[in-house]
Amino acid sequence: MRWRNAWIVMRKDLDEFKKQKLVIGSIIAMPIVLGVVLPLVMFVPMVTIVPLERPWDVDGLLEIGALPDDARAPWTNQTMENTSFRSTVISHKILKNTHLNNCIILSCVLDNTTVVDSTIQNSSLSSSFLNNVTVIRSEGTGLDGRYVLAVSSNLAFTKTKPSEIDQVLPLMFNMVLMIFIIIPATLPTIIATYSIVGEKNNRSLEPLLATPTTDGELLAGKIFSAFIPSMASTLLAFTLGVVLLDVVLIPKVAYPLLPNLTWILSILLLAPTACLMSVLACVLVSSKVSDVRAAQQLGGFIVMPVVVLMLGVLSGFIFLSPVMIFVFAGLYGCLDIGLFYFAKAIFNRETILTKWT
Amino acid sequence: MIVCEGLTKTFGSITAIQDFNIEIPDGRIFGLLGPNGAGKTTTMRMLSCLIQPTAGSAHIDSYEIGKKEDAQKIRGMIGLLPEVPGLYETLGAYKNLDYYAQLYGIPKTQREESIKTTLTNLGLWDRRNEPVGGFSKGMKQKIAIARALIHDPKYIFLDEPTASLDPAAAKMVREYILELKSQGDTILINTHNLSEAERICDTVALVKNRTVKVGSPKELARGLFARTISITMQKIPPSLLKDISSLDFISQAQVNGNQLVLNVRNPEEDNPQVISWLMKQGLQVQFVTEEEHSLEDVYLKLIEEGGR
Ligand SMILES: Nc1ncnc2c1ncn2[C@@H]1O[C@H](COP(=O)(O)OP(=O)(O)OP(=O)(O)O)[C@@H](O)[C@H]1O
Ligand SMILES: [Mg+2]
Repeated sequence: MRWRNAWIVMRKDLDEFKKQKLVIGSIIAMPIVLGVVLPLVMFVPMVTIVPLERPWDVDGLLEIGALPDDARAPWTNQTMENTSFRSTVISHKILKNTHLNNCIILSCVLDNTTVVDSTIQNSSLSSSFLNNVTVIRSEGTGLDGRYVLAVSSNLAFTKTKPSEIDQVLPLMFNMVLMIFIIIPATLPTIIATYSIVGEKNNRSLEPLLATPTTDGELLAGKIFSAFIPSMASTLLAFTLGVVLLDVVLIPKVAYPLLPNLTWILSILLLAPTACLMSVLACVLVSSKVSDVRAAQQLGGFIVMPVVVLMLGVLSGFIFLSPVMIFVFAGLYGCLDIGLFYFAKAIFNRETILTKWT
Repeated sequence: MIVCEGLTKTFGSITAIQDFNIEIPDGRIFGLLGPNGAGKTTTMRMLSCLIQPTAGSAHIDSYEIGKKEDAQKIRGMIGLLPEVPGLYETLGAYKNLDYYAQLYGIPKTQREESIKTTLTNLGLWDRRNEPVGGFSKGMKQKIAIARALIHDPKYIFLDEPTASLDPAAAKMVREYILELKSQGDTILINTHNLSEAERICDTVALVKNRTVKVGSPKELARGLFARTISITMQKIPPSLLKDISSLDFISQAQVNGNQLVLNVRNPEEDNPQVISWLMKQGLQVQFVTEEEHSLEDVYLKLIEEGGR
C-alpha cells in the first residue's frame, strides 16, 4: 500500500468535486442549513419565552481580591425575578425564579432558582435546584440537585419539580446533536456515489486501472475523498452550531457550556464511525448500479443504523449519554470493519471493469 | 517481447477470444484486425492485466499476465489507450495528464516539462485549464493518447487510436506511432482501418473470436490470392480471351477495356512468356503491372467468408 497513490487519487476527486455543483453545494449547504438554521428554528421560540430584561448587569467575574470583604453588608432588599445570570457576583439580593450559572452568590435569598457551577455563601435557599454547587454557611429547604458540597450548612433536599426549560433542554440538545451524526451519514451518499459511479459512467476507470495503482490504493483514495469532505463539513456544522447555541442561549438559560462531554465524544467517535459506515456502504452500492441517483437512494437505505439511532433519540427512547455514545460508536465501528472487508473483497479490477456497467 | 499462448477469455457462455497465439518481437507494430465483437478489446485488456484470462497464458518480457506479483510490473511498462478516452470531463487537459503522471511517480519538474511539451505539440497549451468536456472528440482522443504515453512506456496498446480523428490528425498519429517504433517501442494496435494497418503494421492478426490468420499484410495477400497481372494494350481483339486460355499457366483471364487481367502462378517466370506470345500475335503491349491485393481484400475474404 503506497499511501501517496491513495492521496493522489483523493486529490483528483477533490478537484473534480470543486467543479461539481451538486457535490460542492451539498458540502457547503448542509452544515449551514442543518448546523445553523435548524437549531435557530428550534431554539429561538423557546428563548423568547425566557424573560429577556435584566435589572442590572455585572459583566464578567470579578477578581477574587476584588470581592466585597464585608459579607455582612446591609440588605439592599432588591428583588430580582425571572432572569438569569452568568459569571456574575451577586450579593445581598432576593432572587426568585432565576437561573444562575458560574456565579458567586453572597448573602442572598434564593427561591425557586436554578444554580449551576457556582458558589453560595451566607444565604438562605428554598425550592431551588443545585448542580455542581458549593454551599457555605447557608441553610435551605425543599432543594433538589446533584454534586452539592455543603460546608457548615444545613440543607434539606426534597424532589422539586424541575422547571420546564430544564426538562426540555437536554432533549432538545440531543436532537441537535443528532444533526451532527446525520450530516456525516448522508453526505457520503452524495459524494462517494458520485466519485465511483461517475467514474464508471465516464469510462475513466479503465485507463486508471491500467496504471500501477493497486486496488487497495484506489479503494483507499475513494474512501478518503468521500470521508474527508464529509467530516470537514460536519466539523464546520458542529462548530457553527455550538457557537450559535452558546451565544443565543447562555444569556437566557443556565446550562453547562457546550460542547459537553457527550457532544465531544459524539463528534470524535460517533460521527466518524457513522461517516465511514456510509462511505463503505456507498462503495458497495456503487458496485451494483450504474446510475448515480439510484446509488444515492440505495445508499440512503444502508445508513439505517443511523436512522435507528435518530428515531430512538427523537422518540425519547434513547438518551445520549457518554456511555450510549460509546455503545453506538462501538456498534458502528464493528459494522465498519465488516463493511470494509466486504468492500475490499468486491473492489477488484476485473469486477469493476466487467460487471460494474 | 509479447508472447500469447492459447490465450482464452469467456464471459459466461460468450467466448470473446479463444486459443489466441501471437508473438510480437520488440520494436514492432502489431495490428489486431477483426469485426465488431471479435475479441480485440478483450485481448488488449488481458494484456494490460485488467482482466484475467480464462485459459492459456501470455508473457510480456519475463512477466506473466494474470499473475498477481507481475501485474504491477507489467502495468508500469505499458501505456493503454482504451476504446473510449475516459478523461475527467470537468478537469482541464493539464490536470488530466498530471494525474496520471503522478500515479506513475514521475517527479514534479519532469512532469511539468513533459506535459507542457505534449500540450504545446497538440496545440492545446493555451487551453490547458479548460474542462475537456467541451473539447471535440478528436481533441479528447489526442489527450488520451498523450496520457497513455506520459510515462514513456516500452509497450503501447492502442485500441482504435485514429477512430475519431480527422485525416490530418490521423496522419499525425500514424507518424507518431512510426516514430515511437523507431525509438524501439513495441506497439499493439486494434483497428478497423485496413489501409492504416497496411501502412504501418509489420504484422497483423486477423481475429474473429480466434486467430484466423497472422502475417505481414503482404504475406497474407500473397498466400490468399493467385497473383494477378494486368497488361495494357493499344487494342484487344475479341478472340484474344479464348486464344490466351491455351497457355496452361494462366488460371483465369479477363478483359477490362483495353486491359487484359490474368491470374498467373508466378509472374517472374510467366510474364516474359505471356509478352512474347502477345508479340507473336502482333499486339502492342504498353504497360505490364502486378495488381496488389489490398488488406481489405484479404480481410473481406477471410473474415466474411472463411472466418465463419
Ligand atoms: N464485460 C463483458 N461481459 C460480457 N461479455 C463481454 C464483456 N466484454 C466483452 N464481451 C463480449 O466479448 C466479445 C468480444 O468483445 P470485444 O469488446 O473484445 O470485441 P472487439 O473486437 O473489441 O469489438 P469492437 O471492434 O466492436 O470494439 C463480444 O461478444 C462481447 O459481447
Ligand atoms: Mg473493441
